[in-house]
Amino acid sequence: MEFLQENLLSVIIFWPLVAALFIFLLPDDEESLIRRLSFVLSLVPLALTLFLWFDWAANYRALPGFHFETILPWFPAIGSSYHVGIDGISLALILLTVILTPLSILASFNIEERVKMFMVLFLFLETGMLGLFASLDLLIFFVFWEIGLVPMYFLIRLWGGADREYASFKFFIYTMAGSLGLLLSIQIIGLAAGTFDIPLLMEQWVPLTEGVLPGTGLPVDLVKTVAYVLFVIAFAIKVPVWPFHTWLPDAHTQAPTAGSMILAGVLLKLGAYGFIRLVIPLFPEEAYITAGVLAVFGMLSIVFGGFAAYGQWDFKRLVAYSSINHMGFVVLGIAVMAAVYGFEFAQGVALPAGHAYSRDAIIATSGAVFQMFNHGLSAAGMFFLVGVVYDRTHTRDLKRYSGLWSVLPAFGAILIFTSMASLGLPGLNGFVSEFMIVRGAWGVFPVVVALSMLGLLMTGAYILKGIGQTLHGPLLPEWRGLKDMTLREHLVIWPLMALMLSLGVWPQWLVAIINDTVSRIFG
Amino acid sequence: MSEETLTLFTWLVPAGPLLAFFLIILLFNRNKTLSWITAWAGIFASLFFGWTVALTVFFEGIEDLYALAHHPEVIESAIAWLPFGESIEGWLFMGVMVDPLTAVMLFMVPFATAMILVYSVGYHRWGLGPGDHVVLGAPNHAGIEPLFARFFALMSLFAGGMLALVVSDNLLLLFMGWEIMGLCSYMLIGFWYAREYEDPKSTPPRRAAVKAFMTTRAADVVMLLGIVFFYRVFGTLNFSEALSAESLATAADVVGFGALGLMALFLFTGTVGKSAQWPLHVWLPDAMEGPTPVSAVIHAAAMVSAGVYLIVRIFPLIAVAMEGLPVVGIIIAGIGAFTAIMAATIALAQYDVKRVLAYSTISQLGFMVAAIGIGAYVAAAFHLITHAFFKALLFLGSGSIIHGMEYGAEVVHDHHTDPQDMRNMGGLRHKMPITFWTFVAGGFALAGFPFVTAGFWSKDEIFAEAWFQGTHGNPMAIVVFIVLAIAALLTAFYTARQIALTFLGEPRTELAEHAHESDAFMTIPLVLLSLFAIAFGWLGIPDNFLGTDGIFYNYFHHFVGVTVEERFVELNELGIHVHEIATLPWEWLPLITSLVVALGGLFLGWWVYGRDPLAAGEPDPMEEPLGPVWDFLYWKWYWDELYHAVFVEPVEYFSDTVVYQLVDKGLIDGTLHLIGRGVYGVGAYFKGFEETVISDGVDAVKDGFLDMSREMRTIQSGKLQEYVLVSAGIASVLAILILAINFDVLNPVFEWWNNVWINVILPF
Amino acid sequence: MIPLSWYLLVAAALFCIGLYGVMARRNAVAILMSVELMLNAVNINLIAFWRYHAQPVGGELVWLGQPTGLAWAIFVLALAAAEAVVGLALLISVYRQRESVIAEELDTLRF
Repeated sequence: MEFLQENLLSVIIFWPLVAALFIFLLPDDEESLIRRLSFVLSLVPLALTLFLWFDWAANYRALPGFHFETILPWFPAIGSSYHVGIDGISLALILLTVILTPLSILASFNIEERVKMFMVLFLFLETGMLGLFASLDLLIFFVFWEIGLVPMYFLIRLWGGADREYASFKFFIYTMAGSLGLLLSIQIIGLAAGTFDIPLLMEQWVPLTEGVLPGTGLPVDLVKTVAYVLFVIAFAIKVPVWPFHTWLPDAHTQAPTAGSMILAGVLLKLGAYGFIRLVIPLFPEEAYITAGVLAVFGMLSIVFGGFAAYGQWDFKRLVAYSSINHMGFVVLGIAVMAAVYGFEFAQGVALPAGHAYSRDAIIATSGAVFQMFNHGLSAAGMFFLVGVVYDRTHTRDLKRYSGLWSVLPAFGAILIFTSMASLGLPGLNGFVSEFMIVRGAWGVFPVVVALSMLGLLMTGAYILKGIGQTLHGPLLPEWRGLKDMTLREHLVIWPLMALMLSLGVWPQWLVAIINDTVSRIFG
Repeated sequence: MSEETLTLFTWLVPAGPLLAFFLIILLFNRNKTLSWITAWAGIFASLFFGWTVALTVFFEGIEDLYALAHHPEVIESAIAWLPFGESIEGWLFMGVMVDPLTAVMLFMVPFATAMILVYSVGYHRWGLGPGDHVVLGAPNHAGIEPLFARFFALMSLFAGGMLALVVSDNLLLLFMGWEIMGLCSYMLIGFWYAREYEDPKSTPPRRAAVKAFMTTRAADVVMLLGIVFFYRVFGTLNFSEALSAESLATAADVVGFGALGLMALFLFTGTVGKSAQWPLHVWLPDAMEGPTPVSAVIHAAAMVSAGVYLIVRIFPLIAVAMEGLPVVGIIIAGIGAFTAIMAATIALAQYDVKRVLAYSTISQLGFMVAAIGIGAYVAAAFHLITHAFFKALLFLGSGSIIHGMEYGAEVVHDHHTDPQDMRNMGGLRHKMPITFWTFVAGGFALAGFPFVTAGFWSKDEIFAEAWFQGTHGNPMAIVVFIVLAIAALLTAFYTARQIALTFLGEPRTELAEHAHESDAFMTIPLVLLSLFAIAFGWLGIPDNFLGTDGIFYNYFHHFVGVTVEERFVELNELGIHVHEIATLPWEWLPLITSLVVALGGLFLGWWVYGRDPLAAGEPDPMEEPLGPVWDFLYWKWYWDELYHAVFVEPVEYFSDTVVYQLVDKGLIDGTLHLIGRGVYGVGAYFKGFEETVISDGVDAVKDGFLDMSREMRTIQSGKLQEYVLVSAGIASVLAILILAINFDVLNPVFEWWNNVWINVILPF
Repeated sequence: MIPLSWYLLVAAALFCIGLYGVMARRNAVAILMSVELMLNAVNINLIAFWRYHAQPVGGELVWLGQPTGLAWAIFVLALAAAEAVVGLALLISVYRQRESVIAEELDTLRF
């Protein structure tokens, strides 16, 4: 029990890995047992995280810095250690991960081929994501980053749709292209600072501004610029920021339902998390200089994502583009963070205490993290519902559906609810975070925000297109005998809907935790 | 009643319908009776709480107007809702607030909504028995609506959204209610989602729903900008804090009037969308595709009122912006006045009984917006309330007419004649007497029939304000006065036309011949609403009406006026000059104008349509004299066609062809595929190199070794004695060598090698 | 005293007889016996060298008295015994398998 208390975070991270190994040892043909056992085992990190959450809410909210830390020697020769710990931002995203993984596993109970392999990969993936959100060491971060990539590739490659080879390859190549630069930059930083420990780097790497970088013989500003650009590209691909986004629709369209849920729900957040945890804290000056560019790319993601989603006739592709649209808001919030956080480093003077920009940045950054959480819920829900209708009709072509509401009443109501959460209807979660981001960004980038409203308008257009084409219209004879959602499917979607509603009506329970940390960043 | 109780009641006002929504959706979605009882329970709870609060505030406030003026927010209660920053003062607070303006809205909204919900029960459960062919998502003329529970759930949510908007103390909660209504209007306009029309030019409900949602959303995203702008400038979204005199004066100092004007226009854009003002009015007539109670709730009690309520609510901001930047006022008044007259002209040439009312709604909302644009705060609020009553009445009346006609259609088995087309009606006053008299009450209120009806008093107040402002240095107000007077004349004219075409003369079709009066569920709300459509105006008779003194008391003006009265005085003291809310000096001209346009319009309408009622098959008497103008009006000024060509098609082209095909598939993916092909080419080259050079070279070495070993294998006989022989031979040779070295026989050989090593090999 | 060379000649003759036997005989048992002869020839050499290995001390040849040569010879005897045991056991095993102990036929080492 004491061990659990002291290593709670590590237990949460590695539990899915142990569970995966255990599942791996089971016989192949016990499919039903494997499914149920995977689901039950994936509930354990959720329970532990809830325990962690309440402990945090009761004892740690007022304390600055990282908590639940573990530091173990891992690769002492190059100054890398197994260092994990969390703050409010990581905690929110860890919660998202442990909520979505069991639901995705439950959603994939209808997978019939190679069940064991699927579940093992899925649990393995969960360890990668949890580890990334908790890691406080650059090298460990990179290891978990790559762990998140490989199982996803196989999930698409082995259980995907008709065009899965192209999609999985594109996904892999895109992400690897980013990873290479990331690895290079991480090595340069490690070489220069002599450590990979993120809190230490904040003290040793960030103040380096001029002269020659120790260990490389290169000028500091050149190295910093190159490393910054490589970092940004790596994470921008993952988010994805327009124009690095074209892997996403293909990957989503071909991925199995659960894969899409976790890909949109959590994996995209890895990129945005990288911006908040690494890019801006490690390169505040460069981030400050390019904040405007970042905001413009966020705006382009919002606008072009919205338009492209509206142009789709494949339901899943439409939802995939909606992810680009929504993640654009996250990027916009991050741009505000960059502009305000980097001000002091770039200008040499701190913002006056209580300046309006600080408040803007607190709101926008909290909003960005909250938007990540919200998009995780609504995108996972939307992909799941697309999967539900695909399972019944075996098509994703919006032109072929019509009037499904008459035969699938519960599905229709749930689809509208989830779509509205995605659209950002006030009273549901997405609105609160979008409002926060727009509010925070308005003071810093008013023109960009005004232009991105066009994307928000298109959000309405594509959501209504999805609903209208699926549910409305006269019922076609071929869909007359469809069966409404099963109990298992209800069990997947109801927790998501409950969270969406609770976060829309009473966002405080989550935003307060995020806000504590973010306020201190700009304190 | 104690303040705590009132506060609690205010919180509970939106709770009833919201709770009813969840109960119906989650528990009673299969039970029709339980669902309407739940919806009734919810809305009547709101009615009870709302009226208790509203009447308490009214009666206590009217007794001590001075105290009310100094503290108009009688009830204020808020909780910290969204954390921003470390100190709780910086958080976003959500709460409720009741001031006189809220109180009158709380009087109107729950009552009108409750009447509509009562009426809905009758509307959806009439019929000649259960139909044998029930189609989900389309009107079932022969039986009870199959999606009964869904309808009541959504109506409850709609009411909840509107009530939350009304009691809200901040812009964000207002916006939440605003958007929830947007969703409900989408769902309810598209309630008959499976309905199709044979005529491709007509809009089926599901397209009307999308149109409504998207048009209002276009305005809402701008309004969202206005809200964040508001929040950034004032540091709060709370109305009483942000719009206090000091706060406004400080903001005007810090950011200037230009920013305040922009903010006001952003927020006003929300009104343009929600209250269907030009250029975003196009969604509202199509919203008639929903069931009639929905039209009533959208056009009277809730949705469109919300838009005007917003600009009335933020009027101090608009007033300050207008004074600092007159163009703001000109824009608002111009849009209002233009909308008022444009919609009134379109209403002249419509045949659909609900569409006439839809355009009249747009037109009347234009009156209110124009009133705000010239600073007539109380008049706009007054017209908002009276309009809600008589327009709810008119819509419910038109629903009753349509039901009567559909009953006739059921009797004669004619499903091709349009039961909503006024050309197919006529003579309904004998068939549907209650509907007729209540409709006349509503219609006369809309036309502004003098002295009796509510509409007269509210319109008269707008005219009086416009005239006063116009004669005191605001030329825009004179324009507004003239335009609104013409619009009012047209209003009276088309009202008379509608009543005449519908009720007078002889039945022009079999449907009208067999129409019958609706049941009590539908007629009781009509009667109750008609009482308010007439009597509510008596609260707003000007103090000095006809130049008298002390006979009349304008309760409405004094009560609602104090909401901002004191604030405006303070603003003037702080150096920002705004028109104060005051009782206007008595003028005869506005009154005469009201009388002339109302009576003149009604008379002209009767003269054209009622004197000699239309016979079956006869064209509209105005059609020929107006010629092409008639077509222009009939086709609604061609706004829909224009927008389709200018917005809808380009957006679809841009989305699909430009953004998706050209940029994503062509440019980005094309570049990537090009790089991919390039890399593949390089890879293929290296593959060739490897195959020919590296792979074959290694193979050659391997083959050589294989050959050699094959040769070598032959000496491996496996025979022991041969091995021994070889061993012995080698041993002998070694022995001989050792002997030779021992006896120095080989010395010359070693020396020769030493020479070679030193002289030849090492120099290399 | 018989000179050392005589002993060496006997040993060489014995070694050659053994070698001849190893190479010429077909029966593996005989080959094994011939190997024993060769080992014993070595033993004779060891003993003879040990006995004649002396150094002049004070004008007189002194036997140094170290038993190294004897120890070597005993080692070789033990080794020969062990070899005979293992070799004969192997031969019996081979005979059971193949019904033959002819050395030329036992050529599976080739593969």
